[in-house]
Amino acid sequence: MQTYQPSEILIEQGEENTPVVQRVLTRLPHVPVRIVEKDWERKTPARTSPALSEHEPFAAGKRRVLFTRQRSTFLEHCPAGTSGLVCCNYLVVSLISNCSMDCSYCFLQEYLANNPTLKVFTNVGELLSEVAGAVDRHPERHFRIGTGELSDSLALDPLLGFSADMVPFFAARQNVLLELKTKSDCVNGLLSLDPKERVVVSWSLTPSEIIDTEEHGTASFAERLAAARQVQAAGYKLGFHFDPLIEYPNWEEGYRDTIAQIFSTIDVRRVAWVSVGSLRMTPALRTAVRRRFPQTRILSGEQVPCGDGKWRTFQALRVKMYRAITGWLKEAAPTVPMYMCMETAAVWEKVFGHVPSSDKEVARTLTQPNLAGV
Amino acid sequence: MSQLNEQIATYAHEKRLSPQTLARWSAWSEEDQAAFLVVVQVLQLGENHLRDFLDWLEEITARDGGTARELLTRADIHQPLQSTLARNDKLKAVKEALRRIRYPRLSRLEGDVRAAVKALDLGNRIQVSFPPALEGEDITVELKAHNLQELTDSLRHLQQRVEDGALQRLFALFDEV
Repeated sequence: MQTYQPSEILIEQGEENTPVVQRVLTRLPHVPVRIVEKDWERKTPARTSPALSEHEPFAAGKRRVLFTRQRSTFLEHCPAGTSGLVCCNYLVVSLISNCSMDCSYCFLQEYLANNPTLKVFTNVGELLSEVAGAVDRHPERHFRIGTGELSDSLALDPLLGFSADMVPFFAARQNVLLELKTKSDCVNGLLSLDPKERVVVSWSLTPSEIIDTEEHGTASFAERLAAARQVQAAGYKLGFHFDPLIEYPNWEEGYRDTIAQIFSTIDVRRVAWVSVGSLRMTPALRTAVRRRFPQTRILSGEQVPCGDGKWRTFQALRVKMYRAITGWLKEAAPTVPMYMCMETAAVWEKVFGHVPSSDKEVARTLTQPNLAGV
Repeated sequence: MSQLNEQIATYAHEKRLSPQTLARWSAWSEEDQAAFLVVVQVLQLGENHLRDFLDWLEEITARDGGTARELLTRADIHQPLQSTLARNDKLKAVKEALRRIRYPRLSRLEGDVRAAVKALDLGNRIQVSFPPALEGEDITVELKAHNLQELTDSLRHLQQRVEDGALQRLFALFDEV
């Protein structure tokens, strides 16, 4: 996997001496640096941003790193939770906004369309205090917190080194699991840390032919699997997210082989959970994808508009895919908790034969086996 | 500017096509642009329909290979264009033909569901309908009755269809993709 190389580093005034900025300046001495005023991004209309003078502003924006403070709350409920869909009660914290990779189907193309930069938040200490405030105040509850909502959890770790802050913090707590969700193989920073069974490193996966054509700048399937074996050996739990499921001419063979390769390589006892989720796109995202990736085949599946406004593979075919893939997963890992992301109760019923009574029930099936007896 | 470009630009101007839509059309090969222009002129497509056609043609060729020109000269697309149907009927026929190519499994399932509903032989006082693109898979059954006897007869008819398995078969179709 190629190492991320920004074209420019922007540092908000006052943040120059923060640990993460100092680390990056040491590691990238040759990248041009500019100090910008507070709220530079808010004051710089996207259309006049330097990034937009480039042919492809969204891609160019990923190459400009802005170090700034997060001035609102870090800890949030996963924004994927939508009324009418079954949710898993996931919480997210974002130290980075935007991603160094460029998957053709990525929702950030719409969500951060006017964002001219890749933002890194410098106030890690405040993030940890906020999490401690929520988690420590409720020792009777179990929490699942991830960092991979607005960025890849690990792709920039060689540069930013956030895992050195995050892993020990979560490892010290009894009632919370940290999930680091990635499409990279950037795990070296994790290997010398002791996760104490509190950290799940998970990979989003599609068959190789999809990774190679649609997941630009990510690690290959082989690289991801090699990294999974490394972190498994270092004491981390693993997770696998077959999300988004891509329907393409050889999807059955592709997914069956992918699952077979994973579970012939890793120790299934170290797998905390697996999830499946259909490709889902808003109309605006489809337009962005069409414009940015004219050669993509992502839009060529039989996708139709659904009740929440997103386009998905039509339901009967979607259920067929889910049944096939969860069937292979059940065969390979019969005791590993499994769940679906952003699906209706009707689809849960058809695939799993039951509908969770609540988001909390889904959350319990994921946290209890992984926090019990630890 | 070539004659083709001029014709497309003129059409785009007349129909007030957006610059994005025009750019997409113009990015195709000349052969494809020309084939599409013929269709567009016959059907007098405005922005929304034209964009739908662009989407489907690009998605089909990305999936199956081939060119837009090859698609547009297929018999099931070409014949309605050449027919004596009114423009709106031509548009409906061509769009349906293109949709069947774009959504082969969904179209087949929808056809099977329609045939299964017809085979229920429920008469014209009981309507069975299903959601667009079969999303949700709920079937809606609507009864019309102008007296209690008619309502009872319809319910009995439906009950027969439950007992003889015909309705079960209808629901089972959704698992046969």
